[in-house]
Amino acid sequence: MKISPFKWILIGASAFLSLLIFVFPLFAAATYSFRGEAGKGRSLANYRWLLEQDGFYPNLFTSLKLAALAGILSLVLMVPTMVFLNLKAQRYKPLVDFLCILPLIIPVVSLAIGAQVAMPEFVQNSEYELVFFFAIIALPYTYRALDTSLQTVPLKTLVEASRSLGASWVATILKVIVPAIRSGILGALFLAFALGIGEFTITSLLHWETFPTWTVGAAQSNILGAIALSVFSFVGAIALLATISLISRRGTKPESLESEDEGVLL
Amino acid sequence: MKSGVVETPKTAQGGRLGSQVFPLLPFFAFTGYFLIWPVLAVTLRSLRGNEGEWTFSNYTPLLHGSYLHAFVTSIKLSLVTSVIGSLLGALFAFVVVRYATGRFSAVLDSISAVFANSGGVPLAFMFIAAFGTEGLVTRVLKTLGWDIYAGHFTIFSFTGVVMVYSFFQIPLMFLVFKPAIGGLRKEWLEASTNLGATQLTYWRRVAIPMLMPSFIGAFFLLFAGGFSAYATARALTVGTVPLVPIIIGTLVDGNVVSDQQNLGDALAVGMIIVAGVAMVGYIWAQKSAAKWRQS
Repeated sequence: MKISPFKWILIGASAFLSLLIFVFPLFAAATYSFRGEAGKGRSLANYRWLLEQDGFYPNLFTSLKLAALAGILSLVLMVPTMVFLNLKAQRYKPLVDFLCILPLIIPVVSLAIGAQVAMPEFVQNSEYELVFFFAIIALPYTYRALDTSLQTVPLKTLVEASRSLGASWVATILKVIVPAIRSGILGALFLAFALGIGEFTITSLLHWETFPTWTVGAAQSNILGAIALSVFSFVGAIALLATISLISRRGTKPESLESEDEGVLL
Repeated sequence: MKSGVVETPKTAQGGRLGSQVFPLLPFFAFTGYFLIWPVLAVTLRSLRGNEGEWTFSNYTPLLHGSYLHAFVTSIKLSLVTSVIGSLLGALFAFVVVRYATGRFSAVLDSISAVFANSGGVPLAFMFIAAFGTEGLVTRVLKTLGWDIYAGHFTIFSFTGVVMVYSFFQIPLMFLVFKPAIGGLRKEWLEASTNLGATQLTYWRRVAIPMLMPSFIGAFFLLFAGGFSAYATARALTVGTVPLVPIIIGTLVDGNVVSDQQNLGDALAVGMIIVAGVAMVGYIWAQKSAAKWRQS
């Protein structure tokens, strides 16, 4: 490739802009979060303050629990749906595709108000109602993750082989398809989980308390603590996503790695 | 994909079609009950008066005064942030597709996924740390001789919210638009060069028309996202910028008298209508993009 000045102007401009928009705020927040008591020196005081707050652990636990359930619900619902959709019901794909993009379009605030109107009393009286709505909000992402990985496997061949060997549908899905699209499943699971952990709008409008809604209240008394909290959330989210990409890479790579190994062995 | 029509024709195939739909029933039941039904329910209730009669009167406050102003502000905010987001996101996507290596590009994908979904409470505090009155960037700029707080600017204003929203709009655009740029084939550039076109002509006559539908689709997606964003604006502005979601939130949080409940419903439906317009644009753009890819 020719080295043109145009290229370097573009790269330089992008680097400068991303520095300004993304790196500076993160850096500033990190710097503030390590401020010592009374704004002097460097220490972990703000993080210590965070851990000492009443409600830190209970609310974190609630969020983890609801997010995990939402992840599981998403998989139980979407894995069979996506398999059948790609295998036998291609004609319904535009409709399912449309329904799965809707949560990105319908304002979450409106969905929350609608939930208050539509859900029966016993559902609204349980914090587990959030699990269903977290799964709804995650739909666009779970759909995409599962669909992409289903496109990469010879679904029809796998199912025909398994069925003709006498396996039931349940066994086919659990023992043949699930292992084949493991990376997509893990990706969908973690995405739903990550969205559930950070969900604020529905939770707050339906008057439940989870980690994100609790932080708003906690932040009011200590802005440095709140900043420490945002750094904590960001680092957590990045760690979670790094795990996803690591796992999904491990999920997709083995075939190519194995064939390489064979090459070496042979 | 043949068509989006999903009516079940009552033909001899009926039985086979039934077995096709059956495994999809849990999905349709779930989305129907937890996604479609709430939207329908709030729409129906917004059309009811205090006595339970059918009426459009709940919508009258939306047509003038502060509520109309809130809609205008919300739409303006989403437009501005989606313009900034789509242009810069597209620039980043182009630079990364063109010049970044596979591993670095994958890392950027992951980081963008985090940032694109970061439109929550933490983001607001982060920007206060950077651009607040005592923020790090504010103080650094001040020592350099530029007091950003000298004029009307605060991080809690409209401009402030625009800056904060860009933080998740740009990465979202990057993620959504990158595959489209990656889909530009080398052969097309070669073909147009062989036909005597310059780089500029190639971009003007081939690449940009090809990318346009995807770009417009992504723009509408950003618009819908910015329009409905709630958490960041709420934590940041505490009501200083009148946005529809914030007003709905205040109505829901307060002790609701029945008048306000009707108003909240009408505002929620108003938001769905605006988002619905964006959705029509999105679907149209998706269809055009698919057409390009096929031919």
